[in-house]
Amino acid sequence: MDITLITICFAIGCGIAAGMLAGLFGVGGGVIFVPTLVLVFAFTQLDAQATSLAAIIPVAAVGAWRQTNDDNVYWRGAMIMGIGAAAGVLLGAEVATRLPDALLSQVFGAVLILSGGEMIVSASRRLKAKRASAPSADQHRP
Amino acid sequence: MENANALPKVSVYPLIGIGIVSGLFAAMFGIGGGVVIVPLLMLLTKMPPRIAAATSLATLLLTSMIGAARYAGSGHIDWVAAAVIGAPAVIGVLIGIHFQKRLPADWLIIGFGVLIIGIGLKLVFVL
Repeated sequence: MDITLITICFAIGCGIAAGMLAGLFGVGGGVIFVPTLVLVFAFTQLDAQATSLAAIIPVAAVGAWRQTNDDNVYWRGAMIMGIGAAAGVLLGAEVATRLPDALLSQVFGAVLILSGGEMIVSASRRLKAKRASAPSADQHRP
Repeated sequence: MENANALPKVSVYPLIGIGIVSGLFAAMFGIGGGVVIVPLLMLLTKMPPRIAAATSLATLLLTSMIGAARYAGSGHIDWVAAAVIGAPAVIGVLIGIHFQKRLPADWLIIGFGVLIIGIGLKLVFVL
């Protein structure tokens, strides 16, 4: 990695932003880590993904610890999903290491576009539902 | 406020399914898998958003450790870079959780969605 003051400032800024997203939405921050490493630090897509996973470990550890103190973590579900995820990770890594890097990067971009679209649609739907139910809440109750 | 320990028991099958899909995403794209876990938990198990986000972080801890261990063997991890972006992110996650309780979450999600669509477009078209 070519370390300059600017890239360090950028990394710190992106790191804080990624962490805030993690805390707010429960994502690991990889959606910010990976593009930062590829676009700013000129990592290959595969190296960026691997490094991103390593960077997520402390974020997830601190986040999960903090949320457990607030009784927000459903640990039984997290453990069961973790078992499934272990199988998925090992399979996914086999696929990722075999795909050409440029293709991997483009597929990642497509995943970002789709999940961004899904977030916007579901959040606007919730906002609309809230707006619809707020003034007429009494009418729905018997 | 909701308490995760007071939730009705969630069936094992959707959880395993969500886990596998998120693990695939994590390893193939280097994201923790949270972008998959949170919406699927809310959709399939009717988990409230705050519990889903917190539970997702706990799952990511396992996913990222297994994923990093898998990639560490083949030398793809730059540990210095991981520390440089991971350390500030730890501060960020504490800030995010602090504000999670008092910010209009749906508007933030829309803003976040727009941001990652922009990044996605750049990755797909400007290579």
